[in-house]
Amino acid sequence: MAVKKHIFTPVSEKEVTRAIVDAFARQFIEYVESDCLIIGGGPSGLMVGRDIALKGVKTLIVERNNYIGGGFWIGGYLMNKVTVREPGQKILEELGIPYEKVVKGLYVADGPHACSKLIAAACDAGVKFANMTIFDDVVMREGNRVCGAVVNWTPVNALPREITCVDPIALEAKFVVDSTGHDACVVKKLEERGLLKTAGFGAMWVEQSEDLVVEHTGEAHPGLIVTGMAVATTYGLPRMGPTFGGMLLSGRKGAQVILQKMNPVVAKR
Amino acid sequence: MQQQCEGEVNDFIRPIPSTIDLYEEGDLGSLDITKIGEYLEEKTHIPFRTRGDIYKRFSKKRIEEVSKELARIKVRDPGKRFVSGVPLQGEVDYEKRRIGDPSWKIFGILYEGVHYQKIISDLVFKGGVVFKYCLLLFTNQLFGTWDRNNNRYHARASLYGFPNLISITGLVEAPAKPKEFYLKKQIGTPVEWLKEEYQGTFLDHGDLRTTDVLKGYAMQALLFHITGDPFCEDRDCRFFNSHWQEEVLHSQLDSQYEFCPRHEKILKGLRERQ
Repeated sequence: MAVKKHIFTPVSEKEVTRAIVDAFARQFIEYVESDCLIIGGGPSGLMVGRDIALKGVKTLIVERNNYIGGGFWIGGYLMNKVTVREPGQKILEELGIPYEKVVKGLYVADGPHACSKLIAAACDAGVKFANMTIFDDVVMREGNRVCGAVVNWTPVNALPREITCVDPIALEAKFVVDSTGHDACVVKKLEERGLLKTAGFGAMWVEQSEDLVVEHTGEAHPGLIVTGMAVATTYGLPRMGPTFGGMLLSGRKGAQVILQKMNPVVAKR
Repeated sequence: MQQQCEGEVNDFIRPIPSTIDLYEEGDLGSLDITKIGEYLEEKTHIPFRTRGDIYKRFSKKRIEEVSKELARIKVRDPGKRFVSGVPLQGEVDYEKRRIGDPSWKIFGILYEGVHYQKIISDLVFKGGVVFKYCLLLFTNQLFGTWDRNNNRYHARASLYGFPNLISITGLVEAPAKPKEFYLKKQIGTPVEWLKEEYQGTFLDHGDLRTTDVLKGYAMQALLFHITGDPFCEDRDCRFFNSHWQEEVLHSQLDSQYEFCPRHEKILKGLRERQ
């Protein structure tokens, strides 16, 4: 009787487990300290990460969900088409994302295609991820400078405290980015400590909110860069609608701010 | 006692200004300030001066102060009375960048109009209001005032006083567009589509008709300066207080006459005094 040939090389269960633990642990140990720690893996966070990692900045994105990409997978009302306004389509082109012109100045792309390309671009640039990881608090140093984040497993927060009394751990970085959307989790944590006062976002005004969000993107507190919709919450700007150009450009501006602060000479090139 | 002509008795409550000063704030697009000045001069015989960017004459320190003041007067929630707060440094920096750049294009923040006027007034009048000059500031920023009738802020195209503020953004955003525009917007029709569909029925940003429309608003400002009442109830008069875009376009561009007989008479009296 002929022996049936395996398609895959036989490997024992323990080897699979060791491979997962070892690879995860090596990366995690390496990224316990990074140049930039981005909280929130939505479009603005991914864009920051992609742009700075391309310049050699050691970057870790913390994402509370299992999936990366935030709301970029779908547009408004669960419809998986995403819109960008001029000049946002230039970033779509740069990332190789196909799009169509709707009317002058408005473009539409396929959500899954756009989101997966952006994630891939961030990965290709060298960004690493800690998904299913939730932001818990900030790490601060002299002069109240933000220099890291306290994180925990997302499921720990989701289960009753009696069975999940698990202490968080801390990650350190030269810069922390709040790209947690309207929640502005990191900024809110500073607000709890009385270090700044957010205004909350205003009514939706898509036409103007994107400009304002990009214009206000930057360092809101020493060591803390705010991007994307978190900017609207921090400064009380009009709320953005289901259009993503502002988030991509805000991410790009956040990256420029970080590069400028890390190495003004390199950033100018 | 000197006899006054009929129609003038209560009209001129303040001295007629010797000059109309036209200031600018931000990028005003295709707005032709000189044409507006020439129109005012033609209608009133009061000379005008174009003064350019309102902030350019002030020191860095004063600009820093104004930036802080402007950052405090943002209306966060149009449904609540404005409360002044302590601005974040990022907000002050934004204002500093904005007012330091005469070509600034971005708008969208709703400022508390009365406070805005006060900040500009303190800036230009330093030692108190001077009636000798009629000051008009054309801005691309948006301001609103509280409406006691429905308890919310409303964006405004103009705010008359000392100085007078006229917003090209307010001219687009404040007077209501056709009702159908908002109904379709509510169900998710992209604004870009709606602008194409309703093109011409309202003023849009960069609209080439803006200069001609604002001639009427500048006249309202001057009328307020002299008489204390900038408006007329006749929708064919350029002094009509329009609340709809349709009314703006009618009273400023398509009406039967420029000014109603009563206001024509006031302007004639004004010209004869010069």
